[in-house]
Amino acid sequence: MDESSSSTWRRSWPGIAIWAAGWAALLLLDGRVDLANQALVLVATAALATLWLPGWASALAALAGVAAFNWSFVPPRYSFSVDVEQHALLLATLLVVVWTVAALVTRQRRLALAAARDARREARLRTWGDALRDASDPAVHAGTLQSMLAEAASVPVALLIDTAQADPLQVGAPDADQRAGLELCLREGRPLGPGSGRYEEQPDVYLPLRGRGHTLGAAVLQGQGRGARSELLLPHLQALCDQMGQALLRAQGEREAQRLSDAAHDQATRSALLAAIAHDHRTPLATILGAASSLAEQGERLDAAQRRRLAHGIVDEAGRLARLTDNTLQLARLDAPGVQLGCDWESAEELVGAALQRARRRDGGQRLKAWVEPALPLLWCDALLLSQLLDNLVDNALKYSPADAPVEITARRQGEEVVLAVRDRGEGVPPAWRERIFEVFRRGEAPAVADRPGAGVGLAVSRAIARAHGGTLRLRARSHGGSAFECVLPVRPQPAVPQGET
Amino acid sequence: MSLQVLLVEDDRELRATLREALTVEGHCVLAAASLADARALVAHAQRDGGPGIDLVLLDLGLPDGDGQALLAQLRARQQVPVIVISAGTAEERKIRLLDAGADDYLVKPFGIGELLARMRVALRHRGRHVAAAVIRWRHGALEVDLAAHRVRRDGQDLHLTPTEFALLARLVRSAGQVVTHRRLLADVWGAEATEQTQYLRLYMGQLRAKLEDEPAAPRCLLTEPGVGYRIVEGDEAGASGG
Repeated sequence: MDESSSSTWRRSWPGIAIWAAGWAALLLLDGRVDLANQALVLVATAALATLWLPGWASALAALAGVAAFNWSFVPPRYSFSVDVEQHALLLATLLVVVWTVAALVTRQRRLALAAARDARREARLRTWGDALRDASDPAVHAGTLQSMLAEAASVPVALLIDTAQADPLQVGAPDADQRAGLELCLREGRPLGPGSGRYEEQPDVYLPLRGRGHTLGAAVLQGQGRGARSELLLPHLQALCDQMGQALLRAQGEREAQRLSDAAHDQATRSALLAAIAHDHRTPLATILGAASSLAEQGERLDAAQRRRLAHGIVDEAGRLARLTDNTLQLARLDAPGVQLGCDWESAEELVGAALQRARRRDGGQRLKAWVEPALPLLWCDALLLSQLLDNLVDNALKYSPADAPVEITARRQGEEVVLAVRDRGEGVPPAWRERIFEVFRRGEAPAVADRPGAGVGLAVSRAIARAHGGTLRLRARSHGGSAFECVLPVRPQPAVPQGET
Repeated sequence: MSLQVLLVEDDRELRATLREALTVEGHCVLAAASLADARALVAHAQRDGGPGIDLVLLDLGLPDGDGQALLAQLRARQQVPVIVISAGTAEERKIRLLDAGADDYLVKPFGIGELLARMRVALRHRGRHVAAAVIRWRHGALEVDLAAHRVRRDGQDLHLTPTEFALLARLVRSAGQVVTHRRLLADVWGAEATEQTQYLRLYMGQLRAKLEDEPAAPRCLLTEPGVGYRIVEGDEAGASGG
């Protein structure tokens, strides 16, 4: 209370000063001008002072001023007695005029205050609306709503927000009663407490955060019921709460829509992936089943060379099936969020050399050559994954190029990157397919490769492996025919190694 | 040479196939489907007067636990060779067993030829006749004589730095077998260097440059990605090992 009275006084001091100046002028003019002119000075003083003084003070000051004027200047001077005929009318008019001015100014001031308050509220609603519209998750704005309500209502505020997960989100510090009230309000979706028409005896006011048809939270104005309350304030606070409620509902709807769309997309991807994988597995399985059943049922009638050929077919196709399974598993692993790589410092020369050695053990691997630029930086990578990538690219190149055409596996530095490449002299890939062959479920549609197994999953895994290392895998057409699959990996700051010895 | 082989593998089909293949080679196979079975067979075979076990094939994916306990039990009595059979998904356990003293590993699926080759190497290193450490190794034009501290290529002496020689010597002592990164680092640089894989990359690169015709397509110093290195078996492995 002290604070508000002192601020009233601070606002009023120009009014008091004007009264003092007016009286000084009256005293100064006394005897030089007639009474009517002095009365005008008094009117002017009172009207001017009213602009700064509260209404009641203006009225009192005017009354006191007229009385003092009567005492000081109106004959008979220094008495309150009045010459009825001459001056009563003058004094009465004086009083009425001064009071009217005071009343008008006060009313005007109140209107201005209301307008300013409405503007403030409107601005608050607008800012709040903007903040909520831009928020991806309006629940993060709960703190803002809390402080905004607290500022508007001048009492502490606590919130309870239904996040559609296990526990509602609580903001602020409600006591047990208030928490129960919040839960009731959230459940019923209607305001409680003084001014709401329900539970009027409660010390606190509860407002629901309402969206269309749903209540997504509740706010408690702690102690609002005890303080002075304005009938106009509650609708404003309710509007703030409802904006939050609508934003929460909208966000919930968006989340749900996103989830459904993700699920549908996942389902489509998974189905396509499974179809592609099943297709890729069926081809080697057909060979294995054919050869094995032939051995089982016709074994006696086959000669040794035929039996050996069938058995080798089974071994080769089983090997292909094993690689396919590794690729499929790896694809699923790399697809999972937060996949952990087993990274270490690796030498490109060793990765290339090991891939070459594995390939040469298989049919057709003899036409593979390797070239590694000397003094390449070490790579920070998962050796098993990079080996799998190189195996896939080598497999692919051997499969899609003529049996006598060379296939190269190279490693070179290019600026701040190391490029591991597998290059063939096959028929190449049509431009329209250079991106799409990396998509696992596209393979079956490509006319040129439709009858050759295994490219789909292998290239998709290889690209996933390159990306998991912060690199890329791309396909470049070579100038004299054929393709180059290039895995580009970033070079990291190199680790310390022992100094040279001789 | 007929051996007593302990095969620890929980998959019935693979167990039957391997048993058959090893029997064809003339070995006697004790098959176990779990760690408990394997322990019982080991205990029985190790009793006084028993024939003893010459080699163990140990699958990692057993229903009742890790193979490490079994490895310790086997090592407590005799230096029986252990070859780890692992699925592609058991990298870490496989390397842990190699570090703990297993001799070699095979990744499923593998061919019988590969298995028999690994068994031969493992037996040569610590078979029934406890072999002296390999001190001379020859492969093609390359000759390493550990005792004389000499490395020759095409009859010419090669100059190796002390670290290069130590690294080569460590591989030659386990010729034909994989030696893990950790083991190499510990044996050549010391126990505090077991994480410094980059040392190995550097010195293996230097060794390949000096020893291999085509360092990018090595024929002797082979890389086992993610596991370690292996130097191929010497040409007259039997002789130099004996």
